[in-house]
Amino acid sequence: MKIVGLFFLLGLWSIAVQSQTFRISGTVKGDDGEEVSRARVELFPTELKSFSDKKGEFSFQHVSKGKYVLSVHMVGYAPYRSEVNLTDEDVSLTVYLTPGIHMLKEVVVHDKTSLKKDEYPLNTDIVSSQFVHRYLGGSLMQTLGRLPGVSMIGIGSGQSKPLIRGMGFNRVVTVEKGIKHEGQQWGADHGLEIDQFATGDIEVIRGGASFMYGSDAIGGVIDIKPKAYPDDHTSGGTVDLIGKTNNMLGGVSVHLYQRKTNWFYEGRATYQDYSDYRVPTDTVYVYSYAVHLDQRHLRNTAGRELNFHLNSGYVDDRFSSMFYFSNTFNKSGFFANAHGLEPRRVDIDLHDASSRDIPMPSQKVNHLKLINRSGYVWNDHEIELDLGFQHNFRQEYSHYVSHGYMPPLYPENLDIPQDLEREFDKKVYSANLRDKMTYGSHVVTIGASGEYQHNDINGWTFLVPAFRQAAVGVFVYDKFSLNEQVSLHGAIRYDHSTIRTMSYTDWFPSLIEIDGEEQWQNLTRAEASEKEFNSFVWSFGMDYRLGHFSLQANAGKSFRVPIAKELAANGVNYHYFSYELGNPTLSPEQSYQGDLVLRWQDSRWAIQLSPYYNYFPNYIYLNPTPGFDHYYGAGNQIFVYTQSKVLRYGAEVQARYNIMKSLSTEISGEYLYARQLSGQKKGYTLPFSPPASIMMNLTWSPLEWSKGQGTYFGLDYKRVAAQNRIVPPEKKTAGYGIWHVQAGTQFALAGQQVLLNLQVQNVLDTKYMDHTSFYRLIELPEAGRNIILSLRMPFQSAKNENSERSKS
Amino acid sequence: MKTTRQIIFLFLAVAGLFVACEKDSNNEIDQDPPQIHIDFAGAFPVQCSEIERGQKFTFKARLSDNVALGNVSVDIHHNFDHHSHSTEIDECDLAPKKSPIKPLVFIKSYTIAQGLKEYETNVEIDVPADIDPGDYHFMIIVTDQEGWSDTKGLSIKIK
Repeated sequence: MKIVGLFFLLGLWSIAVQSQTFRISGTVKGDDGEEVSRARVELFPTELKSFSDKKGEFSFQHVSKGKYVLSVHMVGYAPYRSEVNLTDEDVSLTVYLTPGIHMLKEVVVHDKTSLKKDEYPLNTDIVSSQFVHRYLGGSLMQTLGRLPGVSMIGIGSGQSKPLIRGMGFNRVVTVEKGIKHEGQQWGADHGLEIDQFATGDIEVIRGGASFMYGSDAIGGVIDIKPKAYPDDHTSGGTVDLIGKTNNMLGGVSVHLYQRKTNWFYEGRATYQDYSDYRVPTDTVYVYSYAVHLDQRHLRNTAGRELNFHLNSGYVDDRFSSMFYFSNTFNKSGFFANAHGLEPRRVDIDLHDASSRDIPMPSQKVNHLKLINRSGYVWNDHEIELDLGFQHNFRQEYSHYVSHGYMPPLYPENLDIPQDLEREFDKKVYSANLRDKMTYGSHVVTIGASGEYQHNDINGWTFLVPAFRQAAVGVFVYDKFSLNEQVSLHGAIRYDHSTIRTMSYTDWFPSLIEIDGEEQWQNLTRAEASEKEFNSFVWSFGMDYRLGHFSLQANAGKSFRVPIAKELAANGVNYHYFSYELGNPTLSPEQSYQGDLVLRWQDSRWAIQLSPYYNYFPNYIYLNPTPGFDHYYGAGNQIFVYTQSKVLRYGAEVQARYNIMKSLSTEISGEYLYARQLSGQKKGYTLPFSPPASIMMNLTWSPLEWSKGQGTYFGLDYKRVAAQNRIVPPEKKTAGYGIWHVQAGTQFALAGQQVLLNLQVQNVLDTKYMDHTSFYRLIELPEAGRNIILSLRMPFQSAKNENSERSKS
Repeated sequence: MKTTRQIIFLFLAVAGLFVACEKDSNNEIDQDPPQIHIDFAGAFPVQCSEIERGQKFTFKARLSDNVALGNVSVDIHHNFDHHSHSTEIDECDLAPKKSPIKPLVFIKSYTIAQGLKEYETNVEIDVPADIDPGDYHFMIIVTDQEGWSDTKGLSIKIK
């Protein structure tokens, strides 16, 4: 209580002196003494941000007394950071930037400086693109899976969806360049359509953040920022090459950019091609059906990926507007022995002829994105507008197999292509508007967002009807800096959404019984329906920093609107051999969560503990029932969407210790407990609950060995506990331990800088199963040993005075 | 070495946390799926059984669960394209592949009285005389009240 009283007094004091404000101004110069314009200047812990003008000058008005940190960022220079002590007068200073190639200066290990830009006291990790490069997995989410509290629901070697503290699918929002990424989020059998070579910093938020990101941000957020735009009057690029031994992956990504004074242009192309991945076993058992694997290849899991990006924009001191165009394409196979209504015997001559080909069953996903982000700084206002259009087009191909009462042979006159099992065609239009205003020690952000979705379906099978969906939301967020150490945060948000599902009738007749008489009839699987949802959410938080110690606390409510699949599904899931039935009476899912982040850090130690407590009054889950359905479900067990009360709690622990200057160790662990408190599965956990795990790392970075920086050797040991708390139809998963090693260096080759990274994942070729893998239910083990070699070659053209600072 | 001790302490603390977590008890909930038994005299069909067209046969299997059985489902579909294999170790000889004309499609589920731990099916199934003869697949799925399930896939021949 004494501490609270102290905070209160400090608060009163800060309010009393708040009226006295001063000015901090300065000039940004290069080491050659020349003024540097368009450098980003920020004053922490305030929200003040500015860009140096043509004379290199910047200024912040109306700053209260206190200690601040001034941070200056400019591409081509090392980040600059300095303390500013504002006592009784205006401060004027000169900032000298030291040259350095931007890419090398990025923080390797996830950066969690106590002065991170993040505004709200949520549990946030920021991951740099260099982290992605060092720990590159098969997909972006596999790479991020290294962070405690983050895992993934993977399918095959190249695709996965994020799972944050056991929450996945539509409970985690992925934002790319300010716009919510809208794939076919509900399915586990396809990944996120994101090119991991094209990402800038990635912010990972654990826990609900609906007040900021709207519906779905109930379990966490993956916010993928664009790469920083290039320095003026430069041009250059990067070539990335990658090879993996497990699935014989070869990949290349080429990036080119150019910037004049205000305009910049950027392009990237990425291609990856991989074969079936290999597992450390000859035989797998799919629901006790033994399947022999040819040369330990998981049959038909090969794939390829082709992505294009084209960015252009205008930047000046006050105004910026960027256009981002991207198109990602992926074609990949499904494990051929487990697709349809039962485990299948496949044509071995066809499927084992080559490990690189992709015969059916397979999927093609194309995701096109066009985003405009504009920002305008006007006095104390920072106005931002994001506009986005996305088109996600996904097709699943399979040979026609008669299910239930479908005719034994495919009818010739049907206008659906014979191999098109399913097709989902989604178009999304979105807009976000924000205004961040600074009033003394308050920073108030008001904003609105809107989204419209148009979803069509095709194919000879049915799971989810076509639907239209619209949502609007408004929010206010206030950050109040009580004093240097304490800031208080509060936010409220209101959302309104509608979802309209279309009716669907089978193209074939089924034999049904009406009044005791058997009749052939085309069944209606989905009735047209329209639903409206309203949600009000809030959040309160506190940020406290004192010397080496910091504390962030946050409590809030988040929500998620039921998706079309949960409301209106009525068909067979061909991967799990189950019949999924929607429930039109579902209400928006609500979540109450309390989060705490305790951190202590000095030059040798960093320790962080982040416990959380979470309650859902109406969690939506797919409940397996004892019943069967022989009309719509082709004889399969009925799984119906249901709501129940759920309690969850857990924690992540992270600790880093620098044993010597060149030797450091890091330990991170996670634990999660979930329990259903009501409904048919009372007492059970939730599906896809990750088991407890601990990751230990030892990294040696011998300074004297490397002319530049960046030579390192890393050893990881990940120990995962058994998961014995399961819910039907899951299976208990044994614990395991796996070893990974990483090494990297950089050197000059014929005047060209080269960054080389080598990883060996699963060094001992351990056979294990991942409890949260998509293929876990059919008992497929995870990939065996994998050696990954990646090469990055950045280059910059020397055109003008800028060349001097980029050369070194 | 104070710091070394601190590291050891931290390791132990974290390890202790996980050990504590693994003790979590699951006693009060059912985590065992039901089972299908066809390894007794009189069980029918079994792997490679033969069935006559135009006649009836009785589906006999023993079902068991540790708490309470749910329902049982039977699905008979053709395997003229050799797509199916079975859960049994021994495979049967398959006739050459052929196209279906009028294959037998049989999908039915049967309720088991509430609260039973053991149940023996006694279902008469009529095989019409005009269906395609050949290789078929006989799938049995049993559930329990909690939604756990077990599957058996048998290869049979209809003559």
